[in-house]
Amino acid sequence: MTDLTFSRTGRPPRIRLSRGGMRWAVLTCVLAAGALASLLTGGRDDVGLAQLAGLFAGEAASTAEQTMRDIRLPRTLAAAGLGINLGVAGLLLQAVTRNPLASPAILGINQGAALGIVLGLTVPALAVAPGWLLASVFGLAAACLTFAIAGLFSGRIDSMRLILGGVAVGAIGFSAVRLGYTLEDDIAREVVRWTVGDIADLRIDAALRLLAFALPGLGLAYLMAHRLNLMAMGHAASNGLGFDPRATLVQGTVLAALLTGVSISVAGPIAFVGLVAPHIARWLCGADHRRLLPVVVLIGATLTIWADALSKLLPQAEEAPVGIVVAMLGAPWLLVSVLRRSGTAHV
Amino acid sequence: MSPPLEPQADFMKFPTVFLALALAAGAAQARDVTHELGTTDVPDSPERIVVLEFSFIDALAALNLAPVGIADDDQRDRVQPVWSERIGDDWTSVGTRKTPNLEIIASLQPDLIIADKSRHAAVYETLGQIAPTVVYDSLTGDYEDMLAVADEIGTALGRAEEMDAFQAGHGARMDALRADVSEQTQGDDAQFGVINANGLWLHSPKSYVGSLLASFGFAPVMPLTGSDSYGELYQKTTLEQLSALDPGLLILGKSGDGRTLDQDWNADSLWQQIDAVERGRLFDVSSDLWSRARGMLTAEEIAADIRDIAATLK
Amino acid sequence: MSDARRPEFPDLRGPVTLALLGVLLPALMFAGLFAGAIPLEIETVVNSLLGRDGPRQDFIVLQSRLPRALLAALAGGALALSGALIQALMRNPLASPKIVGINSGAAFAVLVTAFYIPALPHSLLPVPAALGGLMAGALVWWCAQRGDIDPRQLTLVGLAVGLTLDAGVDALLVANTGPESSAPLIWLTGSLWGRGWTHLASVAPVLLTLATAALILAFRLDLQALGPRRAAGLGVRVGLERTLALLAAVILASVAVSVVGVLGFVGLMAPHVATRLVGGRHRIMLPTAALFGAVLTVGADTLGRAIRPPLEISAGILTALMGAAFFIWLLIAEDRRI
Repeated sequence: MTDLTFSRTGRPPRIRLSRGGMRWAVLTCVLAAGALASLLTGGRDDVGLAQLAGLFAGEAASTAEQTMRDIRLPRTLAAAGLGINLGVAGLLLQAVTRNPLASPAILGINQGAALGIVLGLTVPALAVAPGWLLASVFGLAAACLTFAIAGLFSGRIDSMRLILGGVAVGAIGFSAVRLGYTLEDDIAREVVRWTVGDIADLRIDAALRLLAFALPGLGLAYLMAHRLNLMAMGHAASNGLGFDPRATLVQGTVLAALLTGVSISVAGPIAFVGLVAPHIARWLCGADHRRLLPVVVLIGATLTIWADALSKLLPQAEEAPVGIVVAMLGAPWLLVSVLRRSGTAHV
Repeated sequence: MSPPLEPQADFMKFPTVFLALALAAGAAQARDVTHELGTTDVPDSPERIVVLEFSFIDALAALNLAPVGIADDDQRDRVQPVWSERIGDDWTSVGTRKTPNLEIIASLQPDLIIADKSRHAAVYETLGQIAPTVVYDSLTGDYEDMLAVADEIGTALGRAEEMDAFQAGHGARMDALRADVSEQTQGDDAQFGVINANGLWLHSPKSYVGSLLASFGFAPVMPLTGSDSYGELYQKTTLEQLSALDPGLLILGKSGDGRTLDQDWNADSLWQQIDAVERGRLFDVSSDLWSRARGMLTAEEIAADIRDIAATLK
Repeated sequence: MSDARRPEFPDLRGPVTLALLGVLLPALMFAGLFAGAIPLEIETVVNSLLGRDGPRQDFIVLQSRLPRALLAALAGGALALSGALIQALMRNPLASPKIVGINSGAAFAVLVTAFYIPALPHSLLPVPAALGGLMAGALVWWCAQRGDIDPRQLTLVGLAVGLTLDAGVDALLVANTGPESSAPLIWLTGSLWGRGWTHLASVAPVLLTLATAALILAFRLDLQALGPRRAAGLGVRVGLERTLALLAAVILASVAVSVVGVLGFVGLMAPHVATRLVGGRHRIMLPTAALFGAVLTVGADTLGRAIRPPLEISAGILTALMGAAFFIWLLIAEDRRI
């Protein structure tokens, strides 16, 4: 099988396990363990797996079973949904920009949503709108601005301009967040908390919203998988194959923006999933996007579910926001990955 | 500051006269006041005082002293009516408590500034260039700590006896209110938390409100262990954690009429099964008064709220 | 980016622009003495400056506005120089201290110090800041593989390192939500609130020394622009000088950040504007960028103080907004030109 070069700096090293099935088994076990850990931890001590039976008990469910049904299960599902959406978004962006360090954060959506939140906290007229709506509207507006700067609407888009447009738009939201810090204590604390990503009080509607985007998003991404592989070979090669790389760039970016937007609206910006999950996926199974997509789904979900579990397990009374835990899990991986890339550069 | 020693030998024969002169000279000038960040020379009867936290307003109001400047977060109605009744409305806003506007403070030409230790330690020296500055901790600590700080402020202002008298009166009023309440509260537990659209922050038993509730005979809900660091005093709590704590009486501090999280929780069966919710022992109070406005005068207002709450428990 | 032109008449853009900026900066600083939460009359300001009798506001003029103006100018100039050096070294017009993660590294280091080593006097904070910035800069430099640097790779490595450090900053802020974190929070926004002579004194020697070193290196950089081999042939010790220049850039930015927080976009904008005004020759462009950065920061600080008293809008927020607008314009303008 042809080795697909991913970028100019050489192909990522691959771990070859004895059987493809082994990898799936290991991944699934880790995910399952994470899901268990997430489902079994929380404020109350009396909620265990047995309480899952309460799903069918309707009104007669005990408090513990209601906790499992109304709080634990939706939260774990929401965590999984976040991981899937952000992981797929990251994979798409890294493919269409042909750079393994791209992530949803580069689109400026995070900061646009943050701007919306800060405005909702400070402008009385906007305070009536729920947070998730403000985050979505402003986040997607920021994405549109990024696209406009990057030339999407004028047809001149390229990946570098996209990144830079995101940086510019991001700076506006960045200053809004920093402005929030200077305001009174309550607002500042909320801004800080929101900007690191928090899923503490989510319910089933949020989880369903995430999954409602995840499934079609995954499907669309899978349809693009072949083109994503071709893009990785460079535009010159793909031109001759009769598809427009620019169109793929646009479609991939817009899809990534939508997936990211819904994630931010639910939980605030969680920065590392979209960056790190595709890396791990590529490390495990190479660069073919048809295989990468399901793997990144597993890895993204695992990362966020474990982060959720750890945020409840860490020994302090107040739960750490899940975004922080994801960052703690993801940052070392990211740095190792970046260092290793530079190490193989001159091979 | 004592006058320079006279070199003449016969002056030393009258040490008592000398001492009396020294004391008289010193009393007309500044005193040394020791506070959280050191010692400052404070003028004897300061008249133009700028206060940078709400609990300091209370101490001044107790002495019927009107500050010339208050850090009111740029919202004049944050100053509780029970204070503005006594200090009037002539003060100038010097901006937020976080970053009070140093220029406005300077333009008021104060002769004393009272600042908070956590917030203003970084600009203590700068404030000292404007006017003598004393610093106390007004954000952590419990009710007794608040009384101690008020006492120190009274001493710093040279009105220690007046402050003692006021605190005695205040203590008597609080005891009277406690007597009213304690019969109804024996054995019951109560929990206070501030709630807004995005979260619930419970105040631990070691917090200001926690200690007030305890002094009124309520049992604590949260564990008594834990430090009194800011993060431990005010803990963000999820619905699940709240249901695990299961308070018998829940007091929610809200600000204004905005949407609050408990409105979202109303539909949750987990919320409805909390003891306090089931028994209808759920009370809304002003978070401005309970959480932000520390002091003796406002403690009496909080105590009046508690008495009203306890009256419904019968 | 145009090459150095060979005009038929002397290129006066440089000296003229420098002269204009050299007059604009002190004028702006002087004007800033009048503006703020308490607008002052000329007489009051002059009395305070000269120590004459009459209406005075000594604290406002001498202890607050004057040192703030000087500090803003110094920090803005330092960040601009840092940005110009990094852009020259990386040969990447879109590099800046922020993009190579220096700001985040300095911010992280200072926050760790402020929260966990509170005994350290504020005047020594530039030290951990410089260390943090150096570590971040070193990481990015190494990862971006000196030599043949792909601008996209550099930007994204810098963003990744910056993202990691920003996450660290966020973690620290979440873990320390008490009011003692309010000073670091304010500072992170790029604020000169509460800054005075002691802060100026703690950074002025380092910044002025490094700025001078940077301007000297500017001459050498012009030679390096000819390419490594030719430059070496002209006696320029390429590797050593590039390392020194990068070191200067990192320390300039980190020390500036340690005392005024994160001033967004100054390091990115100032070199660009300077290049457009005076061309690409470093010996002219660097001083111009420094002056422009100073003007920008002084203007932002003054505006932030005067817009809505008693509140103060941090200078960093205003520079970030201006920078974002500028950046957007830049991208659109480049689009039209090609």
